[in-house]
Amino acid sequence: MSDAEQPAETGTHEHHNHDHEGPGYATPQAAIEEAEPEQTAYVMGLHVGQDVDAPDFLAVVDVDPDSDTYSEIINRVKMPNKGDELHHFGWNACSSSCHMEGLERRHLVIPGQRSSRIHIVDTKERRDPELTKVIEPETVYDHDLSAPHTVHCIPDGEILISMLGDADGDLPGGFLELNDDFEVQGRWDPPGEIEMNYDYWYQPRQNVMLSTEWAAPKTYYPGFDLDDVEDGKYGQRLNFWDWEAGTVEQTIDLGEDGLIPLEARFLHTPESTHGYVGAALSSNIIHFHESDGEYHAEPVIEFDDREHEGWDMPVPALVTDILISMDDRYLFGSNWLHGEVWMYDISDPSNPRKADSISIGGYFGDIQQVQGRDIVAGPQMLQLSLDGERLYWTTSLFSSWDNQFFPEEAEQGSVMLKADVDPRKGTMSLDREFLVDFGDLPEGPARAHEIRWPDGDCTSDVWQ
Amino acid sequence: MTEVLLDWRDSDRTETVSVPDGETILDAAAAADIGLPFGCRTGACGTCTARLLSGDVVHHRPPRALKDRHLADGYVLLCIAEPRTDAHLAVGATVQAELVPNPWK
Repeated sequence: MSDAEQPAETGTHEHHNHDHEGPGYATPQAAIEEAEPEQTAYVMGLHVGQDVDAPDFLAVVDVDPDSDTYSEIINRVKMPNKGDELHHFGWNACSSSCHMEGLERRHLVIPGQRSSRIHIVDTKERRDPELTKVIEPETVYDHDLSAPHTVHCIPDGEILISMLGDADGDLPGGFLELNDDFEVQGRWDPPGEIEMNYDYWYQPRQNVMLSTEWAAPKTYYPGFDLDDVEDGKYGQRLNFWDWEAGTVEQTIDLGEDGLIPLEARFLHTPESTHGYVGAALSSNIIHFHESDGEYHAEPVIEFDDREHEGWDMPVPALVTDILISMDDRYLFGSNWLHGEVWMYDISDPSNPRKADSISIGGYFGDIQQVQGRDIVAGPQMLQLSLDGERLYWTTSLFSSWDNQFFPEEAEQGSVMLKADVDPRKGTMSLDREFLVDFGDLPEGPARAHEIRWPDGDCTSDVWQ
Repeated sequence: MTEVLLDWRDSDRTETVSVPDGETILDAAAAADIGLPFGCRTGACGTCTARLLSGDVVHHRPPRALKDRHLADGYVLLCIAEPRTDAHLAVGATVQAELVPNPWK
C-alpha cells in the first residue's frame, strides 16, 4: 500500500478503539501493536563543512520494500540558508499529548546547530513535506541562547529545545520554549541552573527531566581537542530536574567514568525511573535509576580502547548514540570510531547482557563495504522501527568532527544502512541489500545524521 | 576597498574579491556570488576558518573558535574578518580541518 492510500496520510495516527483523540499512541505497547511498518524516513542531510556550496536539507527516504524507489532519497526539502548544520530534530507532538484533541504529529522542528536558525516543516504530505516557517538566529540570541540541539514536544502542545550555549557560543546553555504556533515563548529554565547542556528526556509521571552535557559550542564546534578535556571544558555531569518547576534538583558528577555524557534515554514505560546515558569519551554506558528519593548512576557497559597499528594512542570506542526498543527489552548503540553497532538485553536494567553486535565501518570494522560502496565512517545515529525488527543508522557525527576523524566522508558522503533484528532471539543481521547513498547528490556528496519516522520514534515518544 | 585573493588549497581555483571598508570577507564574497564555508557567523564555530598568507586582517569580534596557537599561525575567521590591506588567504573546508588533528593518530 502506498503512503498516498494510507488513511494516516495526514500524520495523525488512526486510533482503533481508544478513548483518546490526540497524536501518537496510548501506550508503548499500543505503538508496537498498532504501528504500520515504516515506509518513509526523514533524515538530516548536510553540506556544512564541505566545499559544496549548497544548503543543508531534509531528505525523504523511501524505506518501503515494495516500492520501486526503495532505499532511495525520493525528495528533499532544501533549507533557505547555507551553513545551518542540521543535526537533531523533533516532532511538534508525540504520545505525551495523546490526550490533546486537535493536536497532530505533523510538523518537524529542525534546528541548525551552527546557525541557531530553527525551521518548521509541515509533513501533511508525507513524501512531499513543505518548509512553512523559519525562526531566525537573532530571535534566538535575544534570549541569550544559541546552538539548538534536542527537540521534544511537551504535553500541552508546546515545544522545548535544549540550547548548548549563550548568544556568544559560550556557557551557560539552557532551554528555549516555542508555543504551538512555533513562536518563541522565551526561556523555559531560570538561567544558571546548568552550565553545559546537550540531550534531555523527561518522564512526566515521575515529574523528572534528565539533561546531559557536551561542552560550550565554541569548544566543540571547531573540533575535538584533548587539551579541552584536560582543561575540564567537556561535560561529565547528569542534571536531574523537577519537571514541573523547571529547576535542577540533583546533579551527579560521573567523573572520568562519564566524560561527555551524550544521549539520554529513559525507558518508555512511564512508571519507570530507569534509563541510560552514553558517555562518549569514557566509552561507557551509564545506567541511572531512582531509589530512596534520589537518582543513582553507574557504568554498566564498558567498551575497551583498541590499539591501532602505527597510531600514538589506543582509540576509544566513542559511544555516540544509544536507543531503547519500544518494549524496553533492548538497548542499542553505536561505537563510531570502532565501527560497531551493538544490542544489549536490558530485561534486568542494572545488568545488561550483550545480545549481538555488527562490526562495520569505522577504524576497525570487519565489513568496510556494502554493495561495493566504501563505508568511510562508523555507525552513528540510530533509529529502530516501532516493532523493534529493523534498525537503521547513518554515519555522520558532526561536520568538524567528521573532518577530523573520517575526512573521506566530506568527499564520499554518508550512507544509511539497516540491520534486521530478531527480538525473540536477540540477534541482528546486516541487510546487504539496503543502502542509501548520500554521496551521489546533484550538489555534491552530503552527510546524513538523525532519522525520524512519521508515526513516532523510539527516540522521541514520551508517555504521560 | 581592498582586494582579497582567495586560494582554494586543494584545487587550482582562485578568486579575487573587492571588500568595501567595514565589510567582512565572507559577506563580500557572498555579494560577489562566491560560496565559502561558514556556520555561526559570530566567530564561535570556526567553519569559515581561512589562513592568512599575506596582508593584514583584523577580527571585529573576539574569534572564539580560534585558540592562541591558531591565531599565532595566521588562522582567521572570515565571518568576522575585515582586511586592512590587500590580502591573500587559503580558503576551503580543509583549512578548518587543520585546526585540531586526530589525537589518536
